[in-house]
Amino acid sequence: MIESIVSYGLAVGCIYALIGITYNVMFSASRVFSFTSGTLGMLGGVLGSLFIARMGMPVAAGFLLALAAGALFGIVTEIVAVRPVLKNLEQHLYVLSTLALALMIQQLTAIEWSTEPQPFPRLLNVARGGFDQQFWLPMLACIVVVVGLELLYRHTLVGRAFLAIAEDNYAARALGLPERRLRMASYALAGVIGALAGFAGGEMLLAFFANAPMLTFYGFVPVALGGMGNNRGAVIAGLLLGLFEQVANFLVGGIFASVAVFTVFIIVLLARPEGLAGAAVQRRV
Amino acid sequence: MMDKPAEQLRPGSAAAPGSASALGAALPFLALLLVGISFPLFGGGYWGLIATRACVYWVLVSGLNLVVGFAGQIAIGWVALLTLGAYTTSVLTAGTVTPPLPPYLALLIAAVVGAIFGLIIGLPALRLRTFYFAITTLGFATIVTQVALAWQSVTGGGVGVPGPILPEPFSSQWGFYYFCFGLAAICTWMTANVAASRFGRALTAIRDAEVAAEASGISKPALLTAVFLFSGAVAAVAGGLFAALQSYITPDAFTLDLSILFFIAILIGGHGSILGPLLGTILLTVLPEFAAPLVAWSTFLYAVLLLVIVLVIPGGIAEILDFRNRRPLESGRAIVPRPDLLPRLFGAPSDPGVLRLEQVALSFGGVHAIDGLDLEIHPAQVHGLIGPNGSGKTTTLNVISGYYAQQSGAVRLNDIALPVLACQRRAHMRIARTFQTPRLVGAASVLENVMIGGTVDGEGTFVESLLSLPRHRRDEVMLRDTAMLALAVVGLERLAPVRADRLQHSELRFTEIARALMLRPAFLLLDEPAAGLSAEEIVRLGALLKAIARGGTGVLLVEHHADLIFDICHHITVLNLGRMLAAGTPAEIRSHREVVSAYLGG
Amino acid sequence: MSMTRRQTLASAGAAVIAGGLAKPAIAAKEPIRIGYLPALTGLSSSTGIGLNRGAQLAVQEINEAGGIDGRQIELISRDTQSDPTKAVNAAVELTRQQQVHVIIGPLNSGESLAVVPQLARLNMPELHPCWVDSLTDPQKYPMCFRAAPTNRQIGGAANRYVVDVLKLRKVAVIGDTTGYATASVNAYVPMLKAKGAEVVYQGNVDAANPDVKPEMLRMRSAGAEAIMPWSVNAGFLSRLINARGEMEWDVPIVGQTTLGSGQTKALLEKPEYWAKVYPNNFRSCCFDAQGRLPERTAAFVERLHKAKVDTSDTLLWWVAAGYDAPMMVAEAVKHAGGTKAEDIVGYWNQLKNYPGIYGDISFTPEQHDGYPDDEIVMCEANSLKDGAFRLAPGYAA
Repeated sequence: MIESIVSYGLAVGCIYALIGITYNVMFSASRVFSFTSGTLGMLGGVLGSLFIARMGMPVAAGFLLALAAGALFGIVTEIVAVRPVLKNLEQHLYVLSTLALALMIQQLTAIEWSTEPQPFPRLLNVARGGFDQQFWLPMLACIVVVVGLELLYRHTLVGRAFLAIAEDNYAARALGLPERRLRMASYALAGVIGALAGFAGGEMLLAFFANAPMLTFYGFVPVALGGMGNNRGAVIAGLLLGLFEQVANFLVGGIFASVAVFTVFIIVLLARPEGLAGAAVQRRV
Repeated sequence: MMDKPAEQLRPGSAAAPGSASALGAALPFLALLLVGISFPLFGGGYWGLIATRACVYWVLVSGLNLVVGFAGQIAIGWVALLTLGAYTTSVLTAGTVTPPLPPYLALLIAAVVGAIFGLIIGLPALRLRTFYFAITTLGFATIVTQVALAWQSVTGGGVGVPGPILPEPFSSQWGFYYFCFGLAAICTWMTANVAASRFGRALTAIRDAEVAAEASGISKPALLTAVFLFSGAVAAVAGGLFAALQSYITPDAFTLDLSILFFIAILIGGHGSILGPLLGTILLTVLPEFAAPLVAWSTFLYAVLLLVIVLVIPGGIAEILDFRNRRPLESGRAIVPRPDLLPRLFGAPSDPGVLRLEQVALSFGGVHAIDGLDLEIHPAQVHGLIGPNGSGKTTTLNVISGYYAQQSGAVRLNDIALPVLACQRRAHMRIARTFQTPRLVGAASVLENVMIGGTVDGEGTFVESLLSLPRHRRDEVMLRDTAMLALAVVGLERLAPVRADRLQHSELRFTEIARALMLRPAFLLLDEPAAGLSAEEIVRLGALLKAIARGGTGVLLVEHHADLIFDICHHITVLNLGRMLAAGTPAEIRSHREVVSAYLGG
Repeated sequence: MSMTRRQTLASAGAAVIAGGLAKPAIAAKEPIRIGYLPALTGLSSSTGIGLNRGAQLAVQEINEAGGIDGRQIELISRDTQSDPTKAVNAAVELTRQQQVHVIIGPLNSGESLAVVPQLARLNMPELHPCWVDSLTDPQKYPMCFRAAPTNRQIGGAANRYVVDVLKLRKVAVIGDTTGYATASVNAYVPMLKAKGAEVVYQGNVDAANPDVKPEMLRMRSAGAEAIMPWSVNAGFLSRLINARGEMEWDVPIVGQTTLGSGQTKALLEKPEYWAKVYPNNFRSCCFDAQGRLPERTAAFVERLHKAKVDTSDTLLWWVAAGYDAPMMVAEAVKHAGGTKAEDIVGYWNQLKNYPGIYGDISFTPEQHDGYPDDEIVMCEANSLKDGAFRLAPGYAA
């Protein structure tokens, strides 16, 4: 029982953390949160199932194609739903535009793919049991992403350019950094991370269109609790969330578990609106 | 010239939106009323069902409109209140938990429950950032549905409960339709009343110009509380009606799609409008009925519509129907203030005392924004505050008007220390200000923007506005007349009905001054009001400010335009790096060596 | 087959302008309009998809044979999307707008709970195959008939198998969160307790939840010896079966007919997982010891093959039940000599042993539940062939 809670909880927590990182990468590039982060996770699972199980592609090809689709969708998000509304940030139009785009993709998936959860193919041809791949694949993905981002931001020029754009937009532009292209690249990167999350977690979550709203919420909790733009906080919060959810599942059952998660989330957020690790709100006059 | 004879500027003059345009605004509503009343004559039973559904949805959306369209809070998960209202009404009339109650009483109790929960769901908006609040409302929507599923003993769980049946004459299909239609009409009337009240304007101020709203004395918590209570109550009533319409409710009837529908109806309709969201609701209810395949795609289409609206016409249907604001404005407009009207606006002069800063200090991190500043603003004088960029001028203004808390020192009015960080209290003390960048509600008219400045002078309560009781109407007349007078003072009365975002920059600045004048301020703080004005306009501005001071107001003028400063100020304080560099009369300052070298040059 | 709503709107509008919605005079060739409310999409669509195939075949056969008294059958279908709200909308539209004579459906109890009272108020004869007990009531809903078993009948058979045949005492009962499953679980648990069984686990889980492991582990740690799932959602049921296999937990799964459907089979991780799964089914759709179906059913299966109706991913009894409904309507119209509601209802109220493929249906004015007790059986899921099954082991006739 305990091992089931721990392995499932940490694994699903890694997926939530990765979606949280998706949110953060988009936020870093544009100061905006996008509802499409959860949808990216859903697409990773659905497209993986489509390419590998339904269309019969080899696993590696399906994997790369799913990630490419994620990058593409990330770029589409930037062009269609974020760039046009960046001018009036105070009106918060980005909430609506990204919500609309996310809804469109979700509904399209529901109608064209299925309204029912579909199975996700087994990725590695290894027998089931013990510390199964459906558990360690998401964890591996999480580690790879966290380490990769760290290397990117600290040790490559592109990564440091991303950070510059996030820290001080005007200064970065004044230095001649191509802001728009960097933002698109950030969104593409976020798309890849989101799709990776959904693909790695496909066996656990199944290929289901309703994963999108679920991941939108559960992927945001790590961001809210870990602090905006704080990837390490997101990982810790995501793992805690996954474990808490599983414990609640075992103790009180599915329905009450989600009520418990929501309630705790809202209470924590009201107590500390900037998150458990975040910084306070800036001046506005 | 465009000076008008004094008689034409009587209260309620032709320049103010008159009865003709009021009728024009009411016409679409009257048309809908007529169509709705006569609907049974030409609509069949099926369309009656759809029409009833649209009325029920509108009851909820009309309240949510105040939250989303007026207050600008992104409450996506409002279906939670529909669910609550539906279950409360149904369980109370079914008699599973309590002895069966009559349906009207059940609806009333549901309204109370809805009001309370509307407040619970909505209040996080005061603490949380926009996106976070949106997500928490989604969370609430899910919690309510899950609780409905789990609490089998009360809600029947997945099996559900039968809905309430209204007594005669409302139990037949058309009888029920008229009941819902009546409630929808009442909700339209009430929310239209709020929209045309100081509360409605205050809500739009919170949405689009929150900082300026606070300076005008508008309390966001109080206002949002009123709105969430009302909105929650009508949403719950809509839930009870929904249950009656369905005749049986199960948790899976309250989908997220429904929440999205309500939300999108408001956005398609347009912010700050009643008619727009009303048409939006009708449109979205009716649209999927026109072709069977559309029903499955309905949410997709709503989302596409939302995206198009956000990207192309953020103003929605309301913007499309806003014919008045398509008429071209006259070019070559000049702003000609009428300072002679000031005594009429201010009435009898009073002596507020001296506004004093004593050794005020404020640092941001390692930067000493203000470093031990002493300042005195006397009534009937113009006090200039100048200095290089970053010397602390705006920070000083912000401390006086209560946006920042000083870390040491005090701000006193008549030797009484002003409460720290209480920017909303400043309006009550008759301390008014303008801002470095004009902060106005772009979607509202110039007149409405100016009326926002006088919000604290209204006496009627929110409920009185809902029901358009006499005190509300008196407030409106008073505010309108005062605002027209203030606009006449600054010379903009011809632009009163024009949308603020169509104005030129200089006109925006003068509008802000008119808004500040609504308070008949004892002290007027101006933050670079001459920026972007033409030379001619600066001269007129100077004359106006001098006249305002002559009337007894203490004016603090933060400026870069040296000519204006030296022309109209009685005293000047020069700041540099948060400290006072020099203070004195214009003549003294002009020849002060350090000032010249640090700032004035030459 | 069905008019688009746009055409309907136009023609309805014209009729109104012409002066009121008068009922058209009964012309000899006027079609018999049957309203149909299947859930073809959504979480409870597996039944609808199966039933729909049978219904379409029935209408096709009748029309090809010249219709009833020269009148063609028009089956006007509206997908309820497993949503009770849409079901109510559609039911009213079919009644008022399309002016159907009879409504078949809804096919899921959750939707029927909302629709049955509505149709009663609209005086529309209704025939539905839903199981929840409260969905017929000759007093409250005099025009509503059920050509299918009730919860009591189904649960009775399943519980009897677990307690009396398999001789197991500790039972776990699990359903999804639909109205049907909630009502079923609530009905069956007391029935089990009355038989002396111990219900060690009782729960309702969201059918869309991908993770059923926690529930299964709780069942196991409570000492369950048998699992009884009640849900029409193939995905959910397959996940339960898969979890049992992964846990290598050797307990029988006894319950919903959907456990044996081709859809469920397709979602299993390993075919061996389908062993020891005993769903409800009906004698008409089970083969005897020699592997033969009853005559009537065998002939039906022939016709299905000829009409190229697929049964591999569904259940034969759904197709049969779906087929029987329009047939019963057609029969009623023929004997009543017309489509007047009172005549149809009057005919059904006296129906004795109507030879449906699914079963022999009988109604009386006091009894609108038409399916006989003794035709409900338990079968063995992994014996699936052409949508039919072998009887479960130890199941005496």
